[in-house]
Amino acid sequence: MRVVEWDELEIAVVNCAGTLYAIEDRCSHDDGPLAEGVLYEDDCTIECPRHGSLFDLRTGAPKTLPAYEPIETFPVRIDGDLIKLEVE
Amino acid sequence: MAATPTPTPESTKTLTPEEASLRNLGSDYTERYGFHDAENYLYKAPKGLNREIVEKISEFKSEPQWMRDFRLKALEYFLARPQPTWGSPMLADVDYDDIHYFVRASERSERSWDDVPEDVKKTFDRLGIPEAERNFLAGVGAQYESEVVYHQVNEELEKQGVIFTDMDTALREHEDLVKEYFATIIPPNDNKLAALNSAVWSGGSFVYVPPGVHVEMPLQAYFRINTENMGQFERTIIIADEGSYVHYVEGCTAPTYSGDSLHSAVVELIAKPGARIRYTTVQNWSNNVYNLVTKRAIAETDATVEWVDCNLGSKLTMKYPSVYLMGERAHGEVLSIAFAGEGQHQDAGAKIIHAAPNTTSNIFAKSISKDGGRSSYRGLLEVAKGAHGSKSKVVCDALLLDEHSRSDTYPTIRIGNDDVDVGHEATVSKVGDEQLFYLMSHGLTEEEAGKLIVNGFIEPIVKELPMEYAVEMNRLIELQMEGSIG
Repeated sequence: MRVVEWDELEIAVVNCAGTLYAIEDRCSHDDGPLAEGVLYEDDCTIECPRHGSLFDLRTGAPKTLPAYEPIETFPVRIDGDLIKLEVE
Repeated sequence: MAATPTPTPESTKTLTPEEASLRNLGSDYTERYGFHDAENYLYKAPKGLNREIVEKISEFKSEPQWMRDFRLKALEYFLARPQPTWGSPMLADVDYDDIHYFVRASERSERSWDDVPEDVKKTFDRLGIPEAERNFLAGVGAQYESEVVYHQVNEELEKQGVIFTDMDTALREHEDLVKEYFATIIPPNDNKLAALNSAVWSGGSFVYVPPGVHVEMPLQAYFRINTENMGQFERTIIIADEGSYVHYVEGCTAPTYSGDSLHSAVVELIAKPGARIRYTTVQNWSNNVYNLVTKRAIAETDATVEWVDCNLGSKLTMKYPSVYLMGERAHGEVLSIAFAGEGQHQDAGAKIIHAAPNTTSNIFAKSISKDGGRSSYRGLLEVAKGAHGSKSKVVCDALLLDEHSRSDTYPTIRIGNDDVDVGHEATVSKVGDEQLFYLMSHGLTEEEAGKLIVNGFIEPIVKELPMEYAVEMNRLIELQMEGSIG
């Protein structure tokens, strides 16, 4: 897992069982960082370290409360040795 | 644990005759509920919490591996989290090492009172539970210490596909259904007490109501703690499928001891589109019980969730039932009544989150403090950015019966868009000035008129309560309304 910055966005790039996903590193519940949370590789979810909300890395949707709004996700492309993220 | 508080000095406040008649409320607790049985247990865990205890609970219940893993992970979260410092200074006195985390009184949950161990049955007889079941309930669960000792549901409901069972049985017999919903509303790391419950949960109810089924009579669960320094950690899930209705009622009591007990439940409600769940609690723990409970619900499109939360007992209660309004036109309602006497702190409240458009909610919180007791209303009202057209009304009202008691209000309101209608009212006189004026023009005093309006308002809720609880609630509400106008 690695956090990169673009403008004011902090993006966590997560390796889930060999597939890379990029998510906004900000829990939609309390705005704190997500990248410090536990990663569950069997269903590609990340758990917010503060209140336990589970987010789907593929869609950004929360799978448990207390978060109820999705977090942003970004398309990932592998270009040789480079990992490229599409950010609008 | 904390020392006994110093006695409160005699009050000099002048009371109306109605208020004075209610000063003795709760003083017969020891006689009515405070008795205890001899301990004749199959298993009683030593005091304290560790990995071994958690594994033992899971082993006793022959649980699937995923539940055992869930418990152990939750234990890590519990140990890693500091004790919360907000809420009440009394929270610092909770001693997690001085608690028995698991006590088994009976081999299994029985479907006939005749099969329940004699001592335990006698207790529930004395509390009037079997009688209540015969008279006005569709199903009953009775939990004694850690586990449910009796469970029964009306045959007609079973035929319609209603599941009402204890949570341990549900995990054995409806594992897929439990797994689908368990801890989705309240994850194990939501807060320290939810983590504790997730690690050592035992008992509680599992309810599933199929689409379109209306359970006309309430389902009831009764929770009893018997031993000193006991920890009770039930876990309840209620799923009301599309267009269904269910009313669940819970009550709880414990003997009066000098050593403190801990009750920490987790309750998750799921109201599918068009469904309605009403969840009523009459909490009457003895004054040596810390009651630290997490209750949360989701209401999908056109669904309704109502929490009727009445807190009479316990040493310290911290409980804020919440409703997440996730679908359009969902409705959430919390009626909270708290009563704090000598040595008690009731930190109660409600949380409503409007996450979808055109959702509506009401919070009515009433509290009474006497003899140095303290009650607090702590609430959150949140309206998300996209939840346009939402309406909410929050009414908080407090009554102090003497100058030694205390009441606080901590309302938080977060509004994410302009197109909403949110009202926060702190006094009853604002409920409806026109109604007051109308009644007063017919010769009623302002106080009589106010009482009539509020009684009329809450009557639909109170009349749905089982009789024994409704009487207690009415006494409280009567008291609460005295002198609160103007």
